[in-house]
Amino acid sequence: MAMRQTPLTCSGHTRPVVDLAFSGITPYGYFLISACKDGKPMLRQGDTGDWIGTFLGHKGAVWGATLNTDATKAATAAADFTAKVWDAVSGDEVLSLAHKHIVKTVSFTQDSNCLLTGGNDKLLRIYDLSNPEAAPQEIAGHTSAIKKALWCNNDKQILSAADDKTIRLWNRSSMEEVKTLTFDTSVSSMEYVADGEIVVITYGKTIAFYNALSLELIKTVEAPAPINSASLHPDKDFFVAGGEDFKLYKFDYSTKEELESYKGHFGPVHCVRFSPDGELYASGSEDGTLRLWQTAVGKTYGLWKCVLPEDLGAENSEQLYTPTPEIKA
Amino acid sequence: MATPVSVLRLPKGPDPNSRGFDPKSPRFIALCRTSISSSAASEADPEQLQREQHARSVLRENFLRCLLSMSNKKVQFHMHEKVKVEATFGASDIDVLNFQVSDLHTPIGVQKEALIRCQDVISVTFDV
Repeated sequence: MAMRQTPLTCSGHTRPVVDLAFSGITPYGYFLISACKDGKPMLRQGDTGDWIGTFLGHKGAVWGATLNTDATKAATAAADFTAKVWDAVSGDEVLSLAHKHIVKTVSFTQDSNCLLTGGNDKLLRIYDLSNPEAAPQEIAGHTSAIKKALWCNNDKQILSAADDKTIRLWNRSSMEEVKTLTFDTSVSSMEYVADGEIVVITYGKTIAFYNALSLELIKTVEAPAPINSASLHPDKDFFVAGGEDFKLYKFDYSTKEELESYKGHFGPVHCVRFSPDGELYASGSEDGTLRLWQTAVGKTYGLWKCVLPEDLGAENSEQLYTPTPEIKA
Repeated sequence: MATPVSVLRLPKGPDPNSRGFDPKSPRFIALCRTSISSSAASEADPEQLQREQHARSVLRENFLRCLLSMSNKKVQFHMHEKVKVEATFGASDIDVLNFQVSDLHTPIGVQKEALIRCQDVISVTFDV
């Protein structure tokens, strides 16, 4: 019996959701943080989408958000010219790092001791969180606003994407540029997959996969619409992408074939990420919602329940919530 | 026609009255460091822990009583950037993130009603 995807909608934000990130798998499950233009990033339980808390303190739109691996710390980048570090268990603000312009991106090293930031002042900054009073190390080079910066190669290198249509690879120790990729158009997103050293880059209608160490192109895939974000499944068999036509697309990574597309959002999709166990992916949209989508549609996982035909109508079956089928326009 | 996948319920949304991070959740209880770190349960003896907990309760109670006694009194806020303003204290919100005040005297005039952000406040002074 064919099953149709039922996305789980997480409401609560009042403005577009522009970034989201998952933690690693912790003894308490895994977690999801969402960055929103309403200035109030939220923490949710990753497998159910249940709201856990809201980080209060930013005075402007939050452009970037991330969690450390064990979800004990969160970091956010905002239009109020600060990046903040939070205790992700209590929700308290731990550090506020002043910048000279809008901060767009934040990233923790694996040991959570350093924070990388980037934004409209075109500089990459590295903060030592055990010594936050000290001035951060600064890396200059980009000629316009940085939109994404990530640690890679075991935190020995940094990948940054900017509005100057370049992606640059830097050595952390020497703070020097190692390699640059130049594009004809602005890069809309960048995701780093540590296991396998792959970088997923999106621009225009293209989803491109590069080797993170050499910045050699592995393959590109064309989507039916301009794409804002893409994510590769941990097992590297699928990837998902979303963009301006409001839909989520699922592709086979090996064959590049488009497998599925899903409607659901009421606005462009700004960010999409696979969960650390690959069982679901989350999307954030201009419509102010996050949606969770199953990788294997119909499987029992989180709030989704597989119902066999013989169970429907059984006397002692649980009360299940079956959403009314959406009317196709 | 394909059947939509059933769900047990919808994801829980935010609580309108609080910022969340439930202190009763197992994760919070296991991981949360309190603002004044307590001795690790394994290191200290139970008697010392009990004294410490008692001290915490006393401090917390004093703080809450201070907030209560400030109610409707004229208070002076000493804030960052050498700001000193006077106002009539109203109330605090549950997470002590904002103070509600009336007749806030500022260099640009008197604000009838205002919210003061607690993280901007260094100290509050008032006559008992």
